[in-house]
Amino acid sequence: MKGGIVPASLLFAALGLALASAPRVVRASSLLVLLATLTTFSCFRTPQAGQETAFSGCWIAVIATAMTVYWGRKLGPVAALALSVDAVIWANAVLSPNEAHLEPLKAASCTLIIVPATWAVRRFGSVPIRVVSSWVIAVAVLALGLQLLPVTLGYLPDHLE
Amino acid sequence: MRRRIPAAWITNAPMEAQLVGLPRARLGARGSRIASALLVFAATYSLSRAALAHTGTGLAGGFASGFRHPLGGSDHLLAMVSVGVWGAYLGPPLVHILPMVFPAMMVAGAMLGMFAVPLPPVELGVAISVLVLGSCIAMSFRAPVWAASSIVALFAVFHGYAHGKELPSAADPTGYSAGFVLATGLLHVAGICLGSLNGRPRGAIALRSLGGVIAGLGSWFVYRALGS
Repeated sequence: MKGGIVPASLLFAALGLALASAPRVVRASSLLVLLATLTTFSCFRTPQAGQETAFSGCWIAVIATAMTVYWGRKLGPVAALALSVDAVIWANAVLSPNEAHLEPLKAASCTLIIVPATWAVRRFGSVPIRVVSSWVIAVAVLALGLQLLPVTLGYLPDHLE
Repeated sequence: MRRRIPAAWITNAPMEAQLVGLPRARLGARGSRIASALLVFAATYSLSRAALAHTGTGLAGGFASGFRHPLGGSDHLLAMVSVGVWGAYLGPPLVHILPMVFPAMMVAGAMLGMFAVPLPPVELGVAISVLVLGSCIAMSFRAPVWAASSIVALFAVFHGYAHGKELPSAADPTGYSAGFVLATGLLHVAGICLGSLNGRPRGAIALRSLGGVIAGLGSWFVYRALGS
């Protein structure tokens, strides 16, 4: 059982955390670009053969996106837009063709973590989002490690599939 | 007619109950409420049982199973809460460095476990972590940043190894890992909330006593690990 909703959701959550410390205009424009790209890319799906590569790429994207909160500077407009487009591309790649059309939207709703994250940045500085990002990175590294295991029982089809 | 609770019950209550029962005016309403809520949640959660639907696959579940895992074992739970309490006691920057170091090194340990790299007795390592972290709180050990980070990093490897060995056999390994990382993080946060009582009158004594209780339980875990 290997759904793409978890990596896609974590990627959007990492994006929300990364954008939390950006200026308001950058945040708003990135979210608009995210929605526009999501609508455009929702028609495209990765072929089944490329799914393994897509999953690895998505986890690497999660790590890279979450790592941006450790930058000393605020996220610039170009970097923020690039992260938004990158998140949509990888999230779309891992959501399999069989999954419902609403799946990308469900996953993208995790970007709403930006609301409490922005509040936390204003109230406590960047520390809380750095801590939460470290958890996201930990999950992504583990999942990437699982990709390297030759046989993972959990990924074999179970009796329901 | 309202029944009054005898004073003896209160004084003989466990340390956690006394911690909650400290005068609200002194603790501050918010700190006391958070500590109470955390303890009630922990007590309720420890009594709850898994639903019995669809248990025939033989594989552990995904997110819920991973989330439950650190909460199910008292040794893991106490170690992770201790990290938060100790971090809060040490103050900035360790209050946020320790909760970041722990998951990072736990992942390193989990990778070792997943790839079956041999490690010294893991159960003993986990038990010693409870003993050492509890002792650090009990003795109010003001470790420098490098020392505290190294201690926590070392023990996180053992905790991660124990989880990592079970990870590949989970029905949904990604969900499982997300669950246990989130639970670990929340236990650190719970520990930080408890540790924030340190600034309150009698809070330091309560925390040192809590550390003593944790160290005592750690000694029991070490004894049990050596016996097995």
